[in-house]
Amino acid sequence: MPGATKRSTLLHNREMSVLRFDNVSKQYAGGHEALVDVSFEVAQGEMLFVTGHSGAGKSTLLKLIHLDERPSRGTVVFDERNLLKVRGGDIPRHRRAVGAVYQDHRLLTDRTIAENVALPLILRGTRRADIGKRVRSVLERMGLGHREKALPSQLSAGEQQRVGIARAIVGEPKLLVADEPTGNLDPTLAAEIMALFAELPARGTSVLVVSHDLALLRRMRKRVLILDHGRLLDDISPQDLAE
Amino acid sequence: MSTPMIPPAPAGTPANTPAGAPSRVAIWWQHHMHSVVFSLGRAWRKPWATLLTITVMALALALPLGLSIALDNVKHFTGSVQQSREINVFLKDTVDVPGAQALAVQLRARDDVAAVKLQTPEAGLAELREHAGLGEAIDALQDNPLPSLLVVTPGAGRDDARLARALGTLPQADLVQHDAQWRTRLDAWLAFGARLVQVLSVLLGIGAVLVVGNTVRLDIQARREEIGVLQLLGASDGFIRRPFVYLGAWYGLGSGLLALGMIAAAGMALRAPLAALSQSYGSPFVLKGLDLLHSSIVLLCIVLVGWLGAWLVTGHFLRQTRPTDT
Repeated sequence: MPGATKRSTLLHNREMSVLRFDNVSKQYAGGHEALVDVSFEVAQGEMLFVTGHSGAGKSTLLKLIHLDERPSRGTVVFDERNLLKVRGGDIPRHRRAVGAVYQDHRLLTDRTIAENVALPLILRGTRRADIGKRVRSVLERMGLGHREKALPSQLSAGEQQRVGIARAIVGEPKLLVADEPTGNLDPTLAAEIMALFAELPARGTSVLVVSHDLALLRRMRKRVLILDHGRLLDDISPQDLAE
Repeated sequence: MSTPMIPPAPAGTPANTPAGAPSRVAIWWQHHMHSVVFSLGRAWRKPWATLLTITVMALALALPLGLSIALDNVKHFTGSVQQSREINVFLKDTVDVPGAQALAVQLRARDDVAAVKLQTPEAGLAELREHAGLGEAIDALQDNPLPSLLVVTPGAGRDDARLARALGTLPQADLVQHDAQWRTRLDAWLAFGARLVQVLSVLLGIGAVLVVGNTVRLDIQARREEIGVLQLLGASDGFIRRPFVYLGAWYGLGSGLLALGMIAAAGMALRAPLAALSQSYGSPFVLKGLDLLHSSIVLLCIVLVGWLGAWLVTGHFLRQTRPTDT
């Protein structure tokens, strides 16, 4: 696996990894192995993609990062902390440090756009005055400043996705994970969303995007992890992708 | 895009940390205020469901509460007819007033006697004239036919019947009257009623917890998706639980106020006819309701019941959503 070797060298050049999977396997009740011996690292300020066909283990990988599930074997380390040791009240604290964007947006339908975006800040206990400022500022940058009092149902799919991104980044998480964030969008909107993601590493937020859109992966020229039947088939660096 | 999409954090805030750094108490207070407002809004947005829940809980509360108040009034009423414990000793014609006074002094010295009141024949006649409307008939009498009467109050905790038997053996006594049996039976009924109120309170209290629990359970089911999103965003169990627990407390407060209103309305409806009835018996009995202290205790208890029901149900739900090790 030449890509994996280059990747390892790349990581040594960086200060530290934000996320590390060490020989992680996940076996569900009933015996189905969703992940088998998966190892990789995500450096601080790095953007990468995870791809693979249905059932490859992409969703399970995100669940392990988000502590919806725990690995059957191996360890997941986030921000130098073994997630196996994160229990009880520390689970919500961990989730607050990871921003998440979903294909189906998962916005609260009975709350306004501003209230949706404010949620992570409310959960962190940010001062009310600061919440207002940050929410307005993020929505402004997302081109949604004039819709802050609208309900999600009053927005288009692209606008809803931008609200989802605004909510994920308003708290400046160390890692942002996105599950098929452009799945329901046309190519123009998809490119716009990806441009938003591409800006995040510059601010210290690592971005892990799950996508099966190969055209998008080629266009973005970022590192790509390929999963197949739960195994990490390849870890392709941007240089390899360009070649 | 030349301008960065992501807004800068407020001055002095390091990257990847929450903007500002309020104290834990401030965060706690802010989260509680958020839950208070949110739970009130939720109850307000579903007025019929809220009213139905509150009414069912209010009825469950009003039943034992009303029974308890009725029982207190019966005790109060029977307490005002203390003479039912008293023993009337009618003295023989041969015993004159000084002799009756001497006997009264002698009886007051006994351990099992709390008080002795002497009613002279003259006083008895005056009372008869005043209360029974027999003025003309009494005026027609040549002599006063009434004997001296000693009204003996037994000591607290003493055997009334035994004292009555002892008084009957006195040589001066002509007739001893002691109607204690009905009082004993009434006391037994009152004790039974008090126990019934306790049992009903416990059963209907459990019922109220279940009503709140079921309402909150349905609310949780309806908002399952929202709770899932909040959990993904990093909401703590407390943050998710609080609005529901406050909702339960609001249900409790609403039902408590409604139940107290029902009791007060029932009291107002019964007060006038009961006063007329007791007046016809010459009794000063007045129907008593709940005072401010007891009303506050009732309110506090039902608020706690609502809170407990919601807390138990949300706790059960949250336990089911925790990640499991495989």
